[in-house]
Amino acid sequence: MIMNNDKDVLRDVWFGRIPSCFTLNSDEVTEREAEPYYLMLPRVSYLTLVTDKVKKHFLKAMRTDEVEEMWFEYEGTPLKWHYPIGVLFDLHASASALPWSIIVHFKSFPDRDLLHCPTNSVIEAHFMSSIKEADVLKHKSQVVNDMQKKDHKQLWMGLQNDKFDQFWAMNRKLMEYSTEEGGFRYIPFRIYQTTGDKPFIQKLFRPVSPQGNPHTLCDLLKEMYPAALTNDGEQKRYQVLIHGIEPLLETPLQWLSEHLSHPDNFLHICIVPVPTD
Amino acid sequence: MIVIGSESRGSVPNTSPNVRDMAQVSCCQLDEEEFRKCCLQLLQRSEELRDGWSWQQPQGSEDGYLKKTTLRCVSVTSKRSKKNQQDSALLIDSDCRQNQSAHVSAAPEEATDDADDEDVADDADVPACSACESSFLQFEYHVVFSCSYSSPVLYFRAFTLEGRSLTLEEVWSSIHPNFRLHLQENPLNAVSQQEHPLLGQPFFLLHPCRTEEFMKPLLQMAQQHHRSVNYVLSWLSIIGPVVGLHVPLQYFSTVCVKDPASSSNPG
Repeated sequence: MIMNNDKDVLRDVWFGRIPSCFTLNSDEVTEREAEPYYLMLPRVSYLTLVTDKVKKHFLKAMRTDEVEEMWFEYEGTPLKWHYPIGVLFDLHASASALPWSIIVHFKSFPDRDLLHCPTNSVIEAHFMSSIKEADVLKHKSQVVNDMQKKDHKQLWMGLQNDKFDQFWAMNRKLMEYSTEEGGFRYIPFRIYQTTGDKPFIQKLFRPVSPQGNPHTLCDLLKEMYPAALTNDGEQKRYQVLIHGIEPLLETPLQWLSEHLSHPDNFLHICIVPVPTD
Repeated sequence: MIVIGSESRGSVPNTSPNVRDMAQVSCCQLDEEEFRKCCLQLLQRSEELRDGWSWQQPQGSEDGYLKKTTLRCVSVTSKRSKKNQQDSALLIDSDCRQNQSAHVSAAPEEATDDADDEDVADDADVPACSACESSFLQFEYHVVFSCSYSSPVLYFRAFTLEGRSLTLEEVWSSIHPNFRLHLQENPLNAVSQQEHPLLGQPFFLLHPCRTEEFMKPLLQMAQQHHRSVNYVLSWLSIIGPVVGLHVPLQYFSTVCVKDPASSSNPG
């Protein structure tokens, strides 16, 4: 059901970039000084998938026997590679100045906070597992199960090699639904906030109300995170960010799910305090 | 529960043939309320059997999960890693014994604190293993409800007594070879490391996407014989042994007759 003009939205989402500056953690033992490394990070990808060059750059300055698994930190927070890059930025750094300043570590891997990521196949498994879960919610996993192995591979290769057309040629199947239904079975979404242990809110939510009205972003927040909404006469306390923008709260959730979901097929929503200048 | 109607027969639009049957309601799925009921039953029985299950609720969250911590004695072949002589990798052959009464503090850092002499002494009370190349590992099991899969999910992590987390490779080696071969055929259906949905920390899990497949025959059979089934207990008895978690038979001898009204309420 994707209209032609909406295709631009998909492109804009896919090609979203965050200018970033990587610096080596000052405790690392180096043989010579390591210059910072600048990179345009794709919002919809994963940190460990797009930082081969960063690793290579810093390894040149390191003593090889001091090198363990690479990990990233922003202002004291270890960055979870298994969240899309755009989510990490919106959640932790949306109020800070660009470029996004990320610290690179090669020792003391915080295995209480971060998943290990020894190879790209771990990222692939994580990505496919998200797509699968999203399709369980959308179509009782019938679409993803009807796909062949090479179709799954096409989704992954599309993301890995930043090939928009290759990815969407397959992904559009995951976005289908019958006109009669008016949307997916449930909307795959996650709402992130930085307070508390619980990393995100994820529950069952339908795109259409029992009376047949399309649910909006506002309806979702009302049920899942009412504090994020501003009541009349109140000052706005929170921003609701998807891909770095604040979509209108009246936007139908089904449309958001089809157009602003990440390649993993989840709609990732970040709730962050309004920046105080 | 609201089921959006796709029941109008014969005239399903052909735009998406894949979603034709999606509104069909299955008898084999678990909702959150039923999950809690099952957990409550399990906890009552566990209290009698004193095998250490508890209900945990993270601060500020309505959701909770079942938790159990045990010490497992596993025989180990040490493989010194080249990079770090201190950090020997454990290659675990098999379980030699499961210590079912060991209640170990959940925080493994304690074992590395300086003031942990008492903890070590406690651990020494645990029966020693006969095999010479064996060591104790602390396993922590969590049963969490997944609304996507409408099923329970088994999360777990494991530590050495020094507090080092086991790697995925070591966890694989702790799984009985019979299970291992089967699980490794399809990585997506097997053991992987993922974020605990309530704690935000890395855990291993057995992927839930095949759960319905093996629970269906069991539940249908029970339905035919008008027997009530505790979904969580039955599921756990199937999936638990893969990662060394055993559900004693006593759970099933009386669980149907028990009066469900009791103190330890998971809700």
